[in-house]
Amino acid sequence: MDRNQRPRSLLDSLGEELIAILTPVSICMFTVVLLVCILNSDPSSSSASFSSIATAAYAESDSDSSWDKFVGAFLNSLVFVAAITVATFVLVLLFYLRCVKFLKFYMGFSAFIVLGNLGGEILVLLIDRFRFPIDCITFLILLVNFSVVGVFAVFMSKFSILITQGYLVWIGVLVAYFFTLLPEWTTWVLLVALALYDIAAVLLPVGPLRLLVEMAISRDEDIPALVYEARPVIRNDSRLVQRRVWRERRASQNDNNDIENTANRNEVGRVVRSIDVEEEHVGSSERAEISVPLIDRRPDQAENSETFLEGIGLGSSGAIKLGLGDFIFYSVLVGRAAMYDLMTVYACYLAIIAGLGITLMLLSVYQKALPALPVSIMLGVVFYFLARLLLEVFVAQCSSNLVMF
Amino acid sequence: MTVAAGIGYALVALGPSLSLFVSVISRKPFLILTVLSSTLLWLVSLIILSGLWRPFLPLKANVWWPYALLVVTSVCFQEGLRFLFWKVYKRLEDVLDSFADRISRPRLFLTDKLQIALAGGLGHGVAHAVFFCLSLLTPAFGPATFYVERCSKVPFFLISAIIGLAFVTIHTFSMVIAFEGYAKGNRVDQVIVPVIHLAAGMLTLVNFASEGCVIGVPLLYLVASLTLVHCGKMVWQRLLETRNQSSASG
Repeated sequence: MDRNQRPRSLLDSLGEELIAILTPVSICMFTVVLLVCILNSDPSSSSASFSSIATAAYAESDSDSSWDKFVGAFLNSLVFVAAITVATFVLVLLFYLRCVKFLKFYMGFSAFIVLGNLGGEILVLLIDRFRFPIDCITFLILLVNFSVVGVFAVFMSKFSILITQGYLVWIGVLVAYFFTLLPEWTTWVLLVALALYDIAAVLLPVGPLRLLVEMAISRDEDIPALVYEARPVIRNDSRLVQRRVWRERRASQNDNNDIENTANRNEVGRVVRSIDVEEEHVGSSERAEISVPLIDRRPDQAENSETFLEGIGLGSSGAIKLGLGDFIFYSVLVGRAAMYDLMTVYACYLAIIAGLGITLMLLSVYQKALPALPVSIMLGVVFYFLARLLLEVFVAQCSSNLVMF
Repeated sequence: MTVAAGIGYALVALGPSLSLFVSVISRKPFLILTVLSSTLLWLVSLIILSGLWRPFLPLKANVWWPYALLVVTSVCFQEGLRFLFWKVYKRLEDVLDSFADRISRPRLFLTDKLQIALAGGLGHGVAHAVFFCLSLLTPAFGPATFYVERCSKVPFFLISAIIGLAFVTIHTFSMVIAFEGYAKGNRVDQVIVPVIHLAAGMLTLVNFASEGCVIGVPLLYLVASLTLVHCGKMVWQRLLETRNQSSASG
């Protein structure tokens, strides 16, 4: 019989941050798969095609040969990647010229457009599918309110963290769903092209994202972007409480009050855990936290930040940030896999999670901003084709004869 | 047959693992990571096996011995991977123990190790259920259902969900038995796990006979409950041992 409380085991809190970033990624992917399954199950309604800059060079049609499709898809992705490069360089230029207000305004505006326009389209499709009785005026009022709240949630820093995170995930879901409407070959070639672009943009010395990160570090500002931040959690009487104080203290200590949020939603995201930035913020918050008696500090763990387990992303200091572009393209991959079959969905989901885990491990080894797309996208594409070509035949053959192991 | 039936079939196969997940695994983030990595390992083993067998598929419909060969090779491969998984886990346990020492926390308790083994087994079981049962369940959400001639009394989806549930149980608890067997060097435990897995795989071959699933599935459940009982006895013994040890020394 245990007379005293069992001491808290090591396993209780290890790996929290990893789960904190895996949960929203999983929710985003699950929602996109659900939307794809619901809205694409009716083949007569699949005339909704998405003509955008990604199909500017070539519009795929079923009657073309494989080689034509491949070349067309390749041209499409070149155009798209070029457009993204130009946009990112413009963003870097604006950040360099310190036009932060303009970037914030643009980000709020683009969030409003995504939530209002794309969100409205999806909701109309859902209403049509489920024959939900609602009139235009009610719908419009609800949609406008929803979008405005979303803009404030993303724009301002004093919002409830759960709502901000929810809106960021929802924005990711909306953009990802519309990207899954691209033609098939274009989608796959585009994903691979974006993974390669991400490596180039973050790791090459002349890459725009690397310039952006370096400027942000040297000025000690936040990168103006739509980033999902997995908040560190602390234990308060054995319940998990998310630490709000961290952000508010930091807000009051900074002169410029742009904490997060601005910019180009087409920006391809990357995992930022630049220890310079984070250590400063953690440091300043610890000074502030001494005066706040309710917050349970864990000084011993905060200082041991170079252990191997910290190294594989299972440590406890700082927050992991993942750009919204990563959410979007992971979900595009899984959504496109869902258009084929659910088995490929599971295989791609596991591959993407594994890729994200590997990226986080590399992040703590290299201690600088890393591209989050390449490993996951490459693993996801490989697993998709393996599952489609090899796994499905094998499993269907066994299961239909009720032979399992 | 409808969305309700589809969800029902999915829950038949995965309901107990879902409740295990929510009650035990979701409280500790490390266990969630263990489940995900063991699911990934099972998927990779399945992909390698399907790659090896792809040139020989599709197999002829009424001949059962190619399937026997398939089951034997697959089980051997997966048991080999289980041993590798244990080796990796051993290494991780050492790392975790030294980390615990460094931050002056207690080392891994016995229950922690058992929970990690359970999470690993659950990952394998969930992967089996997902790939052998859930992925074929998509037509069940539609308006009709499907029967296989060999087992014509029960819809295909239901029988595969029932078999899936048996296998989930077997995978989950045999991982606990295997880890304890390797840790203690207990030959009986080490050998019984591959034997159980092979027996279960071979029992599904009984389904080849016409209406064979009437015999095959109850026998499969017998094997599953044997696994459960053996695992329970073993864990109980270990817990009593540890308690006697700590009360004798404390």
